[in-house]
Amino acid sequence: MRRVRRTLIVLRAFWQLNWLEELQYRGNFIASLLGTVFWLGMAMLTVALYFRHTEKLGGWEYWDVVVLLGIFNALAGVVESVLRPGIGHLPTDVRSGALDLVLVRPVDAQFYVSFRRLDVWRLADVVLGLALAGYAVAQTGRSISAWELLAFVVTFAVAIAVVYSIWVSLMSLAFWFVAVENMSALFDAVFEAARYPVSAYPGALRFLFVYLIPIAWTTTIPASALTGRLNPALAMWAMAIGVAALCASRLLWRIALKRYTSAGG
Amino acid sequence: MSVEVARGRFAIFRDQYAELMRSAFLVDLQYRASIAIWLIWGITEPIISLGIWWSIAATGAVEGYTREAFARYFFGVALVNQATLSWDAWNIDRWIREGEMNYRLTRPIAPIHEAVADNIAYKGPTAAIILTAWIIAAAFWPAVRVPFEPGRWTLALIAIVLAAAIRFLNGYATGLLAFWTTRATALVELQFGISLFLSGRIAPLSLLPPQVVEVAQYLWFPYVVSFPVEILTGDVATFEQYARGFAGQLVWLAIWMSLYLIVWKRGRRHYGAVGG
Repeated sequence: MRRVRRTLIVLRAFWQLNWLEELQYRGNFIASLLGTVFWLGMAMLTVALYFRHTEKLGGWEYWDVVVLLGIFNALAGVVESVLRPGIGHLPTDVRSGALDLVLVRPVDAQFYVSFRRLDVWRLADVVLGLALAGYAVAQTGRSISAWELLAFVVTFAVAIAVVYSIWVSLMSLAFWFVAVENMSALFDAVFEAARYPVSAYPGALRFLFVYLIPIAWTTTIPASALTGRLNPALAMWAMAIGVAALCASRLLWRIALKRYTSAGG
Repeated sequence: MSVEVARGRFAIFRDQYAELMRSAFLVDLQYRASIAIWLIWGITEPIISLGIWWSIAATGAVEGYTREAFARYFFGVALVNQATLSWDAWNIDRWIREGEMNYRLTRPIAPIHEAVADNIAYKGPTAAIILTAWIIAAAFWPAVRVPFEPGRWTLALIAIVLAAAIRFLNGYATGLLAFWTTRATALVELQFGISLFLSGRIAPLSLLPPQVVEVAQYLWFPYVVSFPVEILTGDVATFEQYARGFAGQLVWLAIWMSLYLIVWKRGRRHYGAVGG
């Protein structure tokens, strides 16, 4: 317990410094906001293009897919504000030996590495994404029950856990492949597929996204909760997957960390 | 200038190029794992688009596009996109921000030649990998076979080279705006986003609303992906279609070449004034 408190104190100090630093770059806020709005627009146009030629995408109506798109954008915001600047920097630290400075600190290394930075401006993506999801839900004309909202909150947390686990796992590979500097591009590549409901893909790809690279659990499931497609059993499965992903990535991290020999080694 | 002098200069230039390409290739070889990741990153977009269109076309052809036609089209997109991608704006941005432009300016050869050599050394082998993957896939999956017509393939190759040149100069010239602004890469991303539709990366152009296609005709976007891909798939067939496509490519090549020359000349002067 004391260890947890200590970690939180350290993190708070870091985030405060971060915040002061970011305040100097307020121009970035506008730029990143414009960028997000632009890419959201492109994504919605893409969906609109598909719906010019079809009534449904994997059984989902237009506004249902937009709900999913909002959730996708919110998750992307979490990635950009916390994961990419934090654990995404791990390969560089491993290569340069800067990880030494982390390991000697009296905090949990994985926790510290993961949450050391907070790119506050990109949190706007989370807000924007959730707002779009909310707007799209309103457009579908459905009313959300308290249970559905709760299911959404839980499955969205699961989604964050799964995305986080994928990042930890990918970045842990940096301990083996020291020369690979663009490991995060692998995440970007597969996460692109999470823009659409998993049922919109042909069988082979669907299998891949559900079982092998579990991105189906990141957007399709929370969006299902908001569009009345989620049954309790699936929600339970999602929670189990979330916990399993966190444990597996923790294990991988531990094994990986044992390989670390610093830069001179 | 006498013929001998001209020939001598050409020989020096050729040797410089050969050396630049050799070193670029060796660097790439060193980072082959990273390149494999970029390759995967590059082909996911066409794979995802194909997956979605494949499902949509389950109930029948979409405006003439059957599932098989979509498969051929997006295999073509994967190949052409890999061969024509442009990332130099990010390099230029770094060169200018971190001062790496300075020593490049002192070289007897303009930095753009280093970038060209870099592009050839990277795109040649990686496009060959995608082409090989396509050939292997075609052996097992008849849907992605394109008819054996060497003449057509030669024209496709020429179109791909022209497309690569246009996209390269487009990205490079836009990237050089970094001499004036720190957001030049954002402008490249903007064009990248627009090209999703207007270049035919997300869908064949004929599936877009006609008004959008109309606008696209007056820009360079359709000539850098859609045109070469449609030569490969056989959608470009008549003399008129070829003539229009190649004419469009040549016009836009000239335009982006001129824009590059203008931006480079002015930007260099501007940079000297600030950083000097």
